[in-house]
Amino acid sequence: MEWLRFILTAILLTAAFASFLSAVVGVYRFNYVMNRMHAAGIGDTMGLFFVLLALGISAGSILDVMKLALVAFFMWFTSPVSTHFMSQIEYYTNRDLYTYIRRDRSGPAAEPDAADPAETAGGDRK
Amino acid sequence: MASETLIKAYSILYSCILAGFSILILVMLIRAVIGPRITDRILSINMIGTMVISCIAICSGLLDESYLLDVALIYALVSFVSVLIFTRIYVPLRPDRSTFGPGAFADIQPKHEREEVHEGQDSPEEGSAG
Repeated sequence: MEWLRFILTAILLTAAFASFLSAVVGVYRFNYVMNRMHAAGIGDTMGLFFVLLALGISAGSILDVMKLALVAFFMWFTSPVSTHFMSQIEYYTNRDLYTYIRRDRSGPAAEPDAADPAETAGGDRK
Repeated sequence: MASETLIKAYSILYSCILAGFSILILVMLIRAVIGPRITDRILSINMIGTMVISCIAICSGLLDESYLLDVALIYALVSFVSVLIFTRIYVPLRPDRSTFGPGAFADIQPKHEREEVHEGQDSPEEGSAG
C-alpha cells in the first residue's frame, strides 16, 4: 500500500515535470509573447496541479492536503488574471502589434497588397 | 525494514525532481534575460514563481515539514502581486485608448484601417485645443 502511494507520487511528479518541460519548450519555440502566454499557461495550471496532487497523495495528515488544495485554488484564480494583465500591457505598449496580427492567412497585415495599385501608392506616399 | 527503503526512495525521487526544476528555472531565467520585450520578462518571472512554488511544496515533502506549505501559499500571493505591480508600472489602471495602444501609432497600420484610427486620434487634439 505504501509502495503504491510511492508509485502514484512518482508518476504524478514525472507528469508535472513533463508539463513544465513542455511549457518551457513552448516558451522557447513560439516567436511572440501572445503565443508564449498560451504555452506558459500549461505550467501554471496542469504542472502545479500535478505537483500538489502528488504531494497530497503522499502527505501524512489531512491538514497538509487542505493547505495544498488552498495553494492550487489560489493559483487557478490568479494565473488567468496575470495572463490577462500581461496581454493587456502587450496590447497597449507594442508599437508593431499589427505586424503580428494577421487578418487572413496569406501574410502579415502591415504589408501593402502588391496586387492593388492604390494600396501601394498610399504606402509610398506615407 | 521496508520503511527505511521507502524513505530513501522518497528522498531520491524528490531530489531528482528538484534538480530538474532547478534546471528549468535556470532556463527560464535565461529567457527573462534575452526576452526581446518587457512582456517576455514578466512572463518568465511569472513562470519562475510558479516553479518556485512547486519546489517549495516538494521541499516540504522532502524535509517532512508541513509549515513550508504556508510559505508556498505566501509565495503564491507575493508572486501574483509582483506581476500585478510590474504590469501597472507601464500601463495605468484605466488606459486611454488615444495615448496607449495601437491606435496611437497610426503610421504603421494598414491603409484600410487608417481612417477610423484618425478619427480616434483627432479627439484628444481637439480636447487640448479647447
